[in-house]
Amino acid sequence: MTREEFEKNRRRFGDDIEAWPAPFRRQALEFLAPQANADPDDVLDGLVREAALVEEDGALARKVMARIDRSAARPSLPRFLVAPAGIAACAAAVLVAATVAGYQVARLQDQPQDSELLALASGERLPDDGSSAIIPDPGEEDSL
Amino acid sequence: MLRQPAAAAVADEASRGDDELLARIAAGSQAALSALMARHGRGLRTFAARYLGHAADAEDVVQEVFVTVWKQAARFDPEKGRASTWLYRITVNRCIDQRRRRALRNFFGLDKLVEEPAAQEADAEAATAAKQELAIVRDGLSRLPARQRMALLLRAVGELDIGAIAEVMGASAGSVEQLLVRGRRALRDHLADAAAGRERKSS
Repeated sequence: MTREEFEKNRRRFGDDIEAWPAPFRRQALEFLAPQANADPDDVLDGLVREAALVEEDGALARKVMARIDRSAARPSLPRFLVAPAGIAACAAAVLVAATVAGYQVARLQDQPQDSELLALASGERLPDDGSSAIIPDPGEEDSL
Repeated sequence: MLRQPAAAAVADEASRGDDELLARIAAGSQAALSALMARHGRGLRTFAARYLGHAADAEDVVQEVFVTVWKQAARFDPEKGRASTWLYRITVNRCIDQRRRRALRNFFGLDKLVEEPAAQEADAEAATAAKQELAIVRDGLSRLPARQRMALLLRAVGELDIGAIAEVMGASAGSVEQLLVRGRRALRDHLADAAAGRERKSS
């Protein structure tokens, strides 16, 4: 007796197997006997195995061969770079590089501003030609 | 360009053990790869389909697994473990990557579907009580936490022992036992709830 036949009979005669007609009862008890003796975990695993079955795909070999062919034809990016972790790492690296570059550019732009501020503090007129407004101390030159 | 090997060559390879097949794949035998796919393809696909809850993703994963096997068969060391354990380990890693990719796509709204609607499947397959029971088991499996589901599927579908499951999952044997106990308990509870629900409906 298969599980399907057993379930069909259960719907037909009810859950109480003892009340089933003799031939069906015997078959049902034979069907249930190995399950009664078996480890309940094994029975559940069997049920999981049966439930998990999927339709077989006969084209697997062909598809895998085609995929191997495609991957051999074109050089692909390292797997790390296309994984989510790789994408996140690349994004972080770009962010750090952009920040460092930003600081560098800002520092270059800040240098003339510093000299302008010093000129302002010492009351000097800012030169129009863009040259430094800070005049070296003559005493300092002598000492050198 | 690769061509599918002749059926006779595949049949010839089918008599070899997994370790020998992997050695031949490392040497470039496509017939050996086809024989390995015929032997393990269905089990790996079943595992991936039920773990991911998405048939198309599972198919993609299994194809990736065998492409990896083709490229890295030389790395397999039979002294370190069984070939089936190695195959399931690759599959588990690919499944985890696939779940992350799908989660990322969901996050950005590129995908709406996370898992197959198991409850609908249960209704669609309610033609017979036996099929309905299997649909309820599938529904219960899809509701388990990912690691419990993985452990149960590796045990039931992959027929791996506790040690091999621990190796595949990168966990200790004790934690695998815990996962199996909790997963089975949750599945039994789910089956009992479903049976009680059916009884209530029929009465």
